[in-house]
Amino acid sequence: MGGRTRRVMGVAVVVAALGVSPHIGRAAGGPAMVELGSLSTLFGAVPFDHAKHAGLAGDCAECHHHTLGGAPVKENCARCHKANQPAKSAACRECHPAERFEAGYMATVAGNPQLYHTGKPGLKGAYHQKCLGCHQAMGGPTGCEDCHSMTEKGEAFYRTGKYAPAAAPKKGGH
Amino acid sequence: MKKIDRRNFLKGGLAGSAAIAVTGTAATAKGAGTFGGYPNSMGVLVDLTKCVGCRTCEAACNKEQGLPEPEKPFNDTSVFDEIKHGQKRRTSEKAYTVVNRYEVEGREGGPVFRKIQCNHCQEPACLTSCFVNAYTKTPEGAVVYNPKVCVGCRTCMVACPFYIPAYSYSSAINPVVKKCIMCYDTRLKFGRPPACVEACPQEVMVFGKRTDLIKLGHQRIKENPGKYVDHLYGENEVGGTSWMYLSDVPFDKVGFDTHLGNEPIISYVKEFLTVVPMVLTIWPALFTGFHLLSNRKEALTKEEETKG
Amino acid sequence: MNRLVGRGFQPIASHVKPDGTRWSVKEKLLLGLTPREYMAVQVRNPFNWLLWLIYAIGLPVLVGRFIYGLGWATHGSYDYPWGLFLAWGLFTMVPLSASGFMMGTTVELFGRKDFKPIERLGLLNGLLGYLFAVMFLQVDLGQPWRLIYPMFVSLGPAAVLFLVAWHVATYLSCQVAELVPAYAEWMGLPKAKKAIKSIVLGLTVAGIILSTLHQGALGALFTYAPGKVHPLWYSSPFQWFHFLVSAIFAGLSMLIVVSTLSKWFLRWRCDDNFKKNLDTLTVGLAKGAALALITYLVIKVIGIAHDNDWEYLFSGWGQWFLFEMTVGVIVPLVLYTMAVRNDSAKLARFSAFLAVFGIALNRLNTALITFNWKLYQEIPHWREVVIVITVYATYIVVYRAVLARLPILYTWKERN
Repeated sequence: MGGRTRRVMGVAVVVAALGVSPHIGRAAGGPAMVELGSLSTLFGAVPFDHAKHAGLAGDCAECHHHTLGGAPVKENCARCHKANQPAKSAACRECHPAERFEAGYMATVAGNPQLYHTGKPGLKGAYHQKCLGCHQAMGGPTGCEDCHSMTEKGEAFYRTGKYAPAAAPKKGGH
Repeated sequence: MKKIDRRNFLKGGLAGSAAIAVTGTAATAKGAGTFGGYPNSMGVLVDLTKCVGCRTCEAACNKEQGLPEPEKPFNDTSVFDEIKHGQKRRTSEKAYTVVNRYEVEGREGGPVFRKIQCNHCQEPACLTSCFVNAYTKTPEGAVVYNPKVCVGCRTCMVACPFYIPAYSYSSAINPVVKKCIMCYDTRLKFGRPPACVEACPQEVMVFGKRTDLIKLGHQRIKENPGKYVDHLYGENEVGGTSWMYLSDVPFDKVGFDTHLGNEPIISYVKEFLTVVPMVLTIWPALFTGFHLLSNRKEALTKEEETKG
Repeated sequence: MNRLVGRGFQPIASHVKPDGTRWSVKEKLLLGLTPREYMAVQVRNPFNWLLWLIYAIGLPVLVGRFIYGLGWATHGSYDYPWGLFLAWGLFTMVPLSASGFMMGTTVELFGRKDFKPIERLGLLNGLLGYLFAVMFLQVDLGQPWRLIYPMFVSLGPAAVLFLVAWHVATYLSCQVAELVPAYAEWMGLPKAKKAIKSIVLGLTVAGIILSTLHQGALGALFTYAPGKVHPLWYSSPFQWFHFLVSAIFAGLSMLIVVSTLSKWFLRWRCDDNFKKNLDTLTVGLAKGAALALITYLVIKVIGIAHDNDWEYLFSGWGQWFLFEMTVGVIVPLVLYTMAVRNDSAKLARFSAFLAVFGIALNRLNTALITFNWKLYQEIPHWREVVIVITVYATYIVVYRAVLARLPILYTWKERN
């Protein structure tokens, strides 16, 4: 093989590597859109624009903590997690349980006295605290339906839409 | 002049004392010491810094407890502007929990939202004031109510320092007290968290063992220096409650009564309750003594009269 | 009736008519008048016109309370669970009915037989007051048919109200028993009278014990709400004692008031024994009331000092408190003392009316007016007022009916 061909192939390999390894460092973007629908009952799935938010955040650790291998954002977290290996998955649902107060999970937490993160939120709490928290600080959308539309079940639950109470409120009462 | 005939006195005294004996022994209070709570009782830690006032908890409670249709939809935030008798919203016969909004000057994150519901006290005032034993402090931590024995005296409503119990005044046939029971019948009994806790999107509330939650609350305060007010409301108030609160603004600014003290309400009544057995034991002898003394005087006067 | 007696009519005072035949029960009930005469007397009486008006308005409202519920009849709310039915009917009427155990103790226990002419009136005042307090309670309870639950179905013995319930029930029985002699005389049942006489000391001691505790317990009920009653009306250690001591002068003052009203409006029924001794007895009652008043005043001041509530005296509520203490305690105290000094039954009577007003004000303040002083003020529903007036009118009607018949204001003449 000629020298020129080798150089072209080398560049191609590097470009391919960069293209197919989304988890390497901060330069890679991750999925463009993620549908967050594992908890959908009252509201539909959230069509999450991951690419946009990755750009806005700058540092992946803003949302993914240290799970991508870099140092966490907060200093306090870095005390333990400064040089962590990347986690098996950076998806929120891999660490934050869907059923936060389920007896089995609570027993696991209680049965591990060395566990530091006993107050880890469940998946629903993690989503909302992370998303809403940042939106409130940065001026993003904060209404419920700004991110996910209400399902029919949701309308029944919140007594709204076609399940809304009769117009005239009753007089009196205590 | 009536002679003290031992037989007659005993007859009368026995009749009276028999009735009193039943009531007397019944009214003694357990003496010193407070009830520290059942060892494994559950509780809920409410972090006010996380609540955004979405009212999902209210909707969840309504559904779980089969409460009637509300006046406004649960996602209607205009309820936060409702003022009645100069007061914000409170629990009612149709709503076991409500959320209120508090505008706090200088707070960067906007208004504070507070969820109100029965605090499931360790030594509940409602329970200690009920003369038909309608309330029970369950080992799981919930304070539950038995509508089958309630007479409707409403002393529990007078006693509750948090103004929680509501009464179904609208019913003529079966008016009963209405309040949060921590979803005991449908969830807590089976080890599951109350509906409001599970429904909350922001995970404002953490469900767990009360003793663990106290540790968690203080840990959060410690790990976020300057964020929270260094006080876990409900840890000690009125003897301790199962529902405890963390806040980043002073508690009295968001509707909490900070003058309740750490004594359970029953402590204020114990002074009288200890008088009861004293009266029951001292009065008979004391007043019989008075009678003997006054009779003696009369007897002496009579003797002199007959002599003379 | 006063007019009739003025014309020479003799009210029944013994088992036999002037011609020697026995009165029948029906005749006794109709006061010895023919049915027509009796109706005429009732129709002529202007007070009865007022009563008919009260019932015309009040009876439908009272019935309505049971059909439509408390929400319809009261302003009872979640913040203000107790309203006028309890504040007046229970908390005010019970101390005013303390004359029962006061007179029983005075005459039977302390041997003060000089008070015998007024003893039965005191006992009746006590019995009817408690009976109607229970009536008011039944109107107020959410489920009045469950009244016996704390006795037989589900007991909550640690509660103060448990003590109140048991004591009021037991004490009512005591008071009924104490009045059996009067009834026995009227109906001609000598054995019943003898039976009660043999246990009267036991009954009296039981009455004192029960009264001490439940008068105190009514006060202790408010210790369940330490932050809700205004500090000037609240004292954790002394609340029960305030209510007990004030009940003493309340009962005595109410007895003076009732005896005065009997003297004025039931003149025909009072015999010479009653009329001649009444003024002296009134002054005697005033003595007892004065002692209780000064005791109350001192313990009230100590209560304020104990909780260091002096600052509150300078607030708006403080002025209201000072008004209550002045008109309801200090002025009656001074007037009673003067009445005793000058042997003036008239002054004692005026003072008694003030003292009764003061008690009513104190109980209404504690239970309703200063309750929730940090929140808003609750005004009772007009239906509550109507019902209270209606039930109280019934109390007066029953009172009058008993006084007109049983040997309370007069002495029964046994067969010679």
